[in-house]
Amino acid sequence: MDHPPAIVRLTGVDKDYLLGKVVVPALRGIDLAIQPGEFTVIAGPSGSGKTTALNLIGCVDVATRGIVTVDGHDTAKLSERDLTKLRLERLGFIFQSFNLVGVLDAFQNVEFPLLLQRKLTKAERRERVMDLLQEVGIDQYAKHRPNELSGGQRQRVAIARALVTRPQIVLADEPTANLDSETGNAIVDLMEKLNDEGTTFLFSTHDPRVVDRAGRVVRLMDGRIVEDVTRRAVGASRIAQSA
Amino acid sequence: MGQLLLISLRNLFQHRRRTLLLGSAIAFVTMLLVLLSSLFNGMQDTMLRSATTLMTGHVNIGGFYKITAGSAAPVVTNYAKIEQIVRREIKGLDHVVVRGRGFGKVISDTTSLQGAINGIDITHEKGFRDVVQVRSGRLEDLAQPRTALIFESQAERLEVKVGDMLTLSSPTFRGVQNTVDVRIVAIGGDLGFMSNFMIFVNSEAIRDLYQLDVTTAGALHLYLKDPEQADTVAAKLRKVIQAEGYGVMDKVAQPFFHKFDTVKREDWVGQKIDITTWIDEMLFIRYTLQTLSVLIAILVTVLLVIIVIGVMNTLWMAVRERTREIGTLRAIGMQRGRILAMFVIETALLALGATLFGVLLATLLAAGVNAAEFVVPKGFQMFLMSDTLRLVVDVPTAVRSLVIISVITTLGSLEPAWRAARLQPVTAMHAN
Repeated sequence: MDHPPAIVRLTGVDKDYLLGKVVVPALRGIDLAIQPGEFTVIAGPSGSGKTTALNLIGCVDVATRGIVTVDGHDTAKLSERDLTKLRLERLGFIFQSFNLVGVLDAFQNVEFPLLLQRKLTKAERRERVMDLLQEVGIDQYAKHRPNELSGGQRQRVAIARALVTRPQIVLADEPTANLDSETGNAIVDLMEKLNDEGTTFLFSTHDPRVVDRAGRVVRLMDGRIVEDVTRRAVGASRIAQSA
Repeated sequence: MGQLLLISLRNLFQHRRRTLLLGSAIAFVTMLLVLLSSLFNGMQDTMLRSATTLMTGHVNIGGFYKITAGSAAPVVTNYAKIEQIVRREIKGLDHVVVRGRGFGKVISDTTSLQGAINGIDITHEKGFRDVVQVRSGRLEDLAQPRTALIFESQAERLEVKVGDMLTLSSPTFRGVQNTVDVRIVAIGGDLGFMSNFMIFVNSEAIRDLYQLDVTTAGALHLYLKDPEQADTVAAKLRKVIQAEGYGVMDKVAQPFFHKFDTVKREDWVGQKIDITTWIDEMLFIRYTLQTLSVLIAILVTVLLVIIVIGVMNTLWMAVRERTREIGTLRAIGMQRGRILAMFVIETALLALGATLFGVLLATLLAAGVNAAEFVVPKGFQMFLMSDTLRLVVDVPTAVRSLVIISVITTLGSLEPAWRAARLQPVTAMHAN
């Protein structure tokens, strides 16, 4: 079966950081392609390069060597302005510490990317945001500010914000790290459900419970891919798999 | 834009202490600027109103009559003809006042002083009653022949009161010493330094002192409906009067009493007309006001520099505190320009609110000071030409202060805002 073109492709990617005069390699020779609809985890211990890989794919950092393409664009060739536009139009971000805007309520946080896009009318924005808040189960907290929400609720808001622009891929950096196990499981349940509906997820984690539920696991060690296992084909239902 | 405004506004409320501190400083500087401007306006208003009533019209037609080349009498002969020309040619004329000019010794029973002696016809002096506050006697009595009005400080120095006699002594323009006795009919409240050297007498008394006939005056003071037209009117009169066959002196921006030496050195005889504006006659007031405005500007500049440094420091702190938020916003697709706008809007909102409050506070304070009729110390009275402090808050000055401080404060936020906008999303996102 022919694969559709990859949303994200990393070819021979290296990333070095400079600590004073010392060059610290974070990624070495990474080759990776993410297909639409995947539910992929980048796993590995702390310092293995998970977050660096996610930053390169998320266009918030640039590779030292190699090529990173997102939605067919070589990110090294894009201007700062175009990279920002690419993030806005094609990518969704979920952060470990939720990173919500503290002075905006849940509704306004989710609505924010739509305001940056300036594509929808006020009524359309409202409908889409409320639908998403309902889908992630916190529509009753729409008027609450982040400091009035629990960790799980904040992460749900962050997920809704990441999905509101209908991005091609959602990048999540350790999304369950700051949550208790019950809430963490609920968040993964939610992401699985959204993945079933067609959203591509790529997240970094070293939480074994999350890794166990991924469709594909890319394992990093010292900046290199040491394992890349696909457990479930794209589109194959988890329910069918478990049966 | 709406969302940026909302974020900025809420951030201001979120950091109440910082907002209050910085806002108070901005409001204080605005209040100070408005109060200093209103003090300046009040002084300018009082000084000019007093001066243009007592010493000069908006335009003055004076001149010198020289019997010999080495003499100089500050008079206009056959002034009625010139007044006719003025009334015929000048459209925006409000009224004309005829004055006598002289210098001499004012002698009481116990002492004497030197002064500028002004001959006036009180029935035609429209603004005189508004400016001179009579402390004792009656201004109307100045219509009687051989009468005088002096000021409180002069009365004190001369040890006289209403009803007492004074002797005016001065050489006539032919060089013969002459004296005239006048009765004090009114004592006015002091009007700053002008009260030290000016006394007003019935115009007949000054004619008698200088042995002048009724066709001769010291100067015609012209009052215009629009004082701003003084220069235009003066230029026109210079041409018209010259065309009527009068000799007209070159324009020199000096009061008439500074011109004696120059005129005496010139070798012409007869009458020459000198046309001046109130600005020419009141040069010393202009210098005083300019000096004051420079001092105010220096003070406000220093305060503004302090405020701008405060704004920049505060925003640098805010940028540090909000590094993660900036990174997140950049990551989810906010362009650099909008980050910059967000910080600039935040400062602009704070500046606008604080300056508005400052202007309001200054207006209330000025109204309070005016209502209290705050009496200023003697030394300051001399400078102010009034015994009470008067603050004039005018709308253009208040708006100008508001705009200047708001704009400068907002400009002060540009560097920290630019620094915020330049933050790399990855650096910002992983900041603690």
